[in-house]
Amino acid sequence: MIDTALASFLQGSVSIHVGTRNERLEPSGTPATAARVEDDGRHLVVFVPAAAAPRIVPNLEANGHAAVVFVRPIDEKACQVKGTFTGVRSARDDERPLIERQWGAFLGALEHIGVGRALVQSWLTWPAVAVGLRVTAIFDQTPGKNAGAPLV
Amino acid sequence: MTPTLESLATCLQGLVPSVLYTCSKDGVPNAAYLSHVDYVDPRHVALSFQFFNTSRRNIAENPQAVVLVTDPDTGQGWNLRLRFVRSETEGPLFDRMHLRIEAIASYSGLKGIFKLRAADVYEVLGIEADVVQVGTVPEACGTRRAPDPVFTLTALQDFNARIHRAESLDALVDSILEGLDAIYGFGHSMILVPSEEPGVLVTLASRGYAEGGTGAEVRVGEGICGLVAEARKPIRISGVMRGLLYAYAAQGEAGTPGPIRPRIALPGLPNPGSQLGIPLLVRGELVGVLCLESETPYRFHEEDKVAIELLGSYLAVAMQNMQLVESAADAAERAPTTPDAGDGVCPEAPAGTRHDVVFYAAEETVLVDGEYLIRGLPAKILWRVLSERAATGRAEFTNRELRLDRTLNLPEWRDNLESRLLLLRRRLEQKCPDIRLVPLRRGRFAVHVAGELTLVERR
Repeated sequence: MIDTALASFLQGSVSIHVGTRNERLEPSGTPATAARVEDDGRHLVVFVPAAAAPRIVPNLEANGHAAVVFVRPIDEKACQVKGTFTGVRSARDDERPLIERQWGAFLGALEHIGVGRALVQSWLTWPAVAVGLRVTAIFDQTPGKNAGAPLV
Repeated sequence: MTPTLESLATCLQGLVPSVLYTCSKDGVPNAAYLSHVDYVDPRHVALSFQFFNTSRRNIAENPQAVVLVTDPDTGQGWNLRLRFVRSETEGPLFDRMHLRIEAIASYSGLKGIFKLRAADVYEVLGIEADVVQVGTVPEACGTRRAPDPVFTLTALQDFNARIHRAESLDALVDSILEGLDAIYGFGHSMILVPSEEPGVLVTLASRGYAEGGTGAEVRVGEGICGLVAEARKPIRISGVMRGLLYAYAAQGEAGTPGPIRPRIALPGLPNPGSQLGIPLLVRGELVGVLCLESETPYRFHEEDKVAIELLGSYLAVAMQNMQLVESAADAAERAPTTPDAGDGVCPEAPAGTRHDVVFYAAEETVLVDGEYLIRGLPAKILWRVLSERAATGRAEFTNRELRLDRTLNLPEWRDNLESRLLLLRRRLEQKCPDIRLVPLRRGRFAVHVAGELTLVERR
């Protein structure tokens, strides 16, 4: 479902946000710091700062629905992955370099559009939780006439 | 402490992209990036509705939403819990959002690609600090940045004194731009005035740019300055780079048109971070446009915008008064009828210096040595005085005789002759300093020429 090119985009210098909802259909979300596409191309792990887990994990455990949006600041290319929750665990120490690498790439992209590192230096990245999702659909979200069209 | 929405208005500048979370009636969540969030009043915000998308469909089914906005000063994120109230397709709010979207599209040369379908108004039910996007100044959470200390009464006094010292329009526009730089720290600025050609603005003065750009024109409705003139409202853009990228993304890479190349490039930073344009209005009449730029993505805070707007109305009156004073003084001047040697001293030109001045009558355009100099009324004035000088040897002229010269076709009411002469003088200084218009006293000037001129008129 997720090919190499798309995986490269999702794991590149992108901003990531995870959307969920509760039983009253009230939306709730959080910024994430990194993502990893599993080898089968059908599963995604999203790394979310642990401080934000209470905002989304109860919703995911209750109904399983997740929407993850990715945007690359340097060209506004964006896509959204819809998924079903498969589980959550603490991020391992050996996953921290991946998180830091992707986060660093994102900060570099933010600098490109004029947002200096000083502004985001206190944003949390660690400790983190790894949220597992089974991918159910992917949509183009780049602004323009194709926004909302299925990508795969 | 929970902040008020009013105190978060600065977060709606969109420097860091905002994120909108919604949910369908079937329980499928959605997350999307937003181009514009606008402050409406202490209990409402408006989101731009440009494209039919999942967020919009979800809102139609389920009016609940959350938007994450970021404070551009501290980095603190704020989650606003929203409930959709109504869509507005006209009125002041719609116009304001439309203008902001058009400004960035126009600046990127893509005017018209975005259609603002509606300004969607949401009630803000709650505000919560984001636990991930933690600000750099925790104690400042929710409190507005202190007003910029540059806007003090002492600074205003200083600015006022500079303006009052100006004895001509020439000195006035320079003192305005110098004052904005020295007193308030706005180092890149320009003043444009309406041209005699309807729907065109022309750059009268600029500061902080490598190329002066005097005489550069922009059509009303094009770019920040043109849109300010058209709407007669201020426009502030932060994060210009992000706006441009958004515009280019929406257009798609293929077929992206480049900006129209003007005869003289409008002054501008190569990579502006933020821009602020203010209309200079006197009783609804557009006297000019003041445009400020900065390389900093978020330079013009709300306080700056309000203060510059106030200054703008004062500057507009000062500029109009100066032109009226100069016009009144001109009326008392009599045109010299005899040749004179000129009061000033012409600079010595190297032996053999020669310039070819060509006037294209149909286009009302003057070229010097094959290069564009100026067009319109300033071009006709230059041709008029150079021709007269060549025919009679006369080197002094009065504004009054120009006003009475029917070939120049100046309007009887508010002809803005002073600003045209100023424009011409500055273009000559930049492009051909061997020809100079030297103010002698109010309403009178001399033409000084170093070297020889060949005058050719082409029809």
